[in-house]
Amino acid sequence: MRIINSAPPARSGEGRAPMPPAAWARLALALAAGKAAGTASKVLRAGGGTSFPGTVARRIDPRVLQKVAAASDAHTVVVTGSNGKTTTCRMLAALGHAGGLRVTQNRAGSNLLQGVISAAVRGTDLRGRMDAQLLLLEVDEGTVRLVAPEVRPDTFLVTNIFRDQLDRFGELYSMARGLEAVIEALPPSATVVLNGDDPLVASLAPAACARRLYFGIQADTAGTQVPEHAADTIRCVRCQHPLSYRVVYLSHLGDYKCPECGNARPVLDVAITAVRPSPGAGSEITVETPAGTFALQVPLPGLHNVYNTAAALACGMALSLPRPLEPAQARHAIASLRPAFGRLEQIRAGERQVMLAFVKNPTSYNATMREVLQRPGRKHVLAAHSNTVVDGEDFAWLWDVDLEQLVRQLGSLTISGTRAEEVALRFKYAGADPAVMQVIPDRAAAFDKALTGTPPGESLYIFAGYTPMRELRSIMQRRAWVPPFWEE
Amino acid sequence: MTPAPITVRICYLYPRLLSVAGDRGNLFALMQRCAWRGIRCSVTEADVGVVPDFAQSDLILLHGGQDREMTAAAQDLAVKAGPLREAIEADAVVLAVCAGYQLLARYYAPAQGPEIPGIGVLDAVTEGGATRFIGHVAAECDLGSGRRHKLAGFENHSGRTYLGSGAGPLGRVLAGAGNNGEDGTEGARYREVYATYLHGPVLPKNPWLADHLLAQALAHRYQDFGPLPPLTDQTEARAHAAALRLAGRPAGRWRAATDAMSRIRRPSRVPAMAGGKARIADKERGWTSR
Repeated sequence: MRIINSAPPARSGEGRAPMPPAAWARLALALAAGKAAGTASKVLRAGGGTSFPGTVARRIDPRVLQKVAAASDAHTVVVTGSNGKTTTCRMLAALGHAGGLRVTQNRAGSNLLQGVISAAVRGTDLRGRMDAQLLLLEVDEGTVRLVAPEVRPDTFLVTNIFRDQLDRFGELYSMARGLEAVIEALPPSATVVLNGDDPLVASLAPAACARRLYFGIQADTAGTQVPEHAADTIRCVRCQHPLSYRVVYLSHLGDYKCPECGNARPVLDVAITAVRPSPGAGSEITVETPAGTFALQVPLPGLHNVYNTAAALACGMALSLPRPLEPAQARHAIASLRPAFGRLEQIRAGERQVMLAFVKNPTSYNATMREVLQRPGRKHVLAAHSNTVVDGEDFAWLWDVDLEQLVRQLGSLTISGTRAEEVALRFKYAGADPAVMQVIPDRAAAFDKALTGTPPGESLYIFAGYTPMRELRSIMQRRAWVPPFWEE
Repeated sequence: MTPAPITVRICYLYPRLLSVAGDRGNLFALMQRCAWRGIRCSVTEADVGVVPDFAQSDLILLHGGQDREMTAAAQDLAVKAGPLREAIEADAVVLAVCAGYQLLARYYAPAQGPEIPGIGVLDAVTEGGATRFIGHVAAECDLGSGRRHKLAGFENHSGRTYLGSGAGPLGRVLAGAGNNGEDGTEGARYREVYATYLHGPVLPKNPWLADHLLAQALAHRYQDFGPLPPLTDQTEARAHAAALRLAGRPAGRWRAATDAMSRIRRPSRVPAMAGGKARIADKERGWTSR
């Protein structure tokens, strides 16, 4: 039984044409400067050098990414979607390593253009040659339209589409159109891996020539009958009639069918057929693939991580690795994963525990909150959001999070970030007493206040947007409670 | 016998269909501001296929949605139009936001696709534009009390709405685009209909507007209802002030520069990605047809 069928590694596209000397020189200069910038930012402790090298290299040679990608033999996987990109990539990297592959990837959620270029700069030598056999790129769903034509992915994965940073993308559907353009440009030798449980994702570019693989959950016990509030896309993409769900797993993800036009969830190629909570924090699942059925332990909590596992396994199927991956290897690779930084990361903070959760939309917030609410005792919470280019300007989505449930179990509440006022307003209307809310925009001060407000032996739960999450994590890093994110 | 408790009857239209940008916060604001004053709220939800008793509603909520959802809502609203129009002529209070605003007007002609008819209660028309207005907005409103209020929120729309002579603006734009980015108007008013492009959601951070709607709704039901007792609105006032500050920020390149400067001055931030990321990401945003 094999999860990943053995097939020759297929690098799609044209052969490598020799580069003219001027173009080659420019590329070499860009790579050298990018590598120097990476070293400099590490030495100066300015950060992990996860995006700065890309900025520098692209300034010198705007076509650096295109050239590196065209010259490489690596199988290129691009992972995009609203939620689960980072974790899915970590899983896929673990599968790749287990299969004996050399993997290069962009790390730590640096998924805008310069983060992708930084990964390419790091992964190549000065002549633009890439040692890796698997180039794994997590790409922001708004940026993917720019990145995909340059790297020409062999495998393209869309995890899901949720209401994420609406002010950046305009509307959900305009982002979907961007993804369709990418899928339609894929050659027949490429594979597109889609979440079959997401009505919007499953119906992307139906006429495209690339091979399609669907993943999803097919376990009735794991779901509910009625879509929760945050459901985004519960109308039929084709005819606008409300979809009827046989079962809903997460937000608008589930087994759907349109009673009007018959548009239904596609047949799943990789299906999770059973989900059981495991004694630890994660789940025990059963996976059905064309190559066989087997059980797997997912060490990360929540149904969203079951989806991430299904996505990674489906991508693994699409990979055509040089060596087949045995279920035992896959089982070991997935079971030994730790959460990506800031994804409900457990941190020992002296006499207390810190649970750091990165939340960016109603779906990720609700899913994480549900995990937290299952734990006993009153919850000491630090909530932080800031308006940056990465985090967006519009925080209206906080009103779509069911914070009322969290407020009922509150022990203490500290609010921080450059949009602390907005977050405080949301918590007040969710029922939190303004008299017990501490609003401290400065992250360091808020963190100390929240920590002292948490009795020794108990946990502080941090719900934060990307930028404040990074800031809070670097405060803990300076206290040596966590390793730097680029060493993860 | 104890007198019946004072109750506001809220009709919440399309809670699932038209619900895209946290607009349900408007309902939360109304309900909480009633609860804090000991006033009861009864909320009737009416989605597609249900015609509520508009004559028994004091306050009607109609929120925003995307083009596809709006098309479905338009078809259904045509069925509800008769009794809804009667309720509006009888001074029931209506808050309409974004797509909800466009649906109360005559029509919305998107840049692509067929025209979406409204119910024509508001004398206004909407044309689709090639670019979207996305950003913080501040407007100045005078609801007739002689007191001017500032309205703050976030807009995200490609429609340009032009008012006819039968409707007045809700406010004058101080920052942002408002109805169409041309004539300086934001939103619309007709009888007790208050229409706006502002999400945010608009009521929690503009408690003066929430209370105005509640007072008018209570006046609709009870003959001699006095002024609402005041509330401690510190949290609201801070959020309102912060939203106005954001609306007043410089836009575009200049904003990226000032944001980068503020990062340099504050060492507690994670530095590496500040300036460069802001600039490049701004360019990448180009394709969203801002």
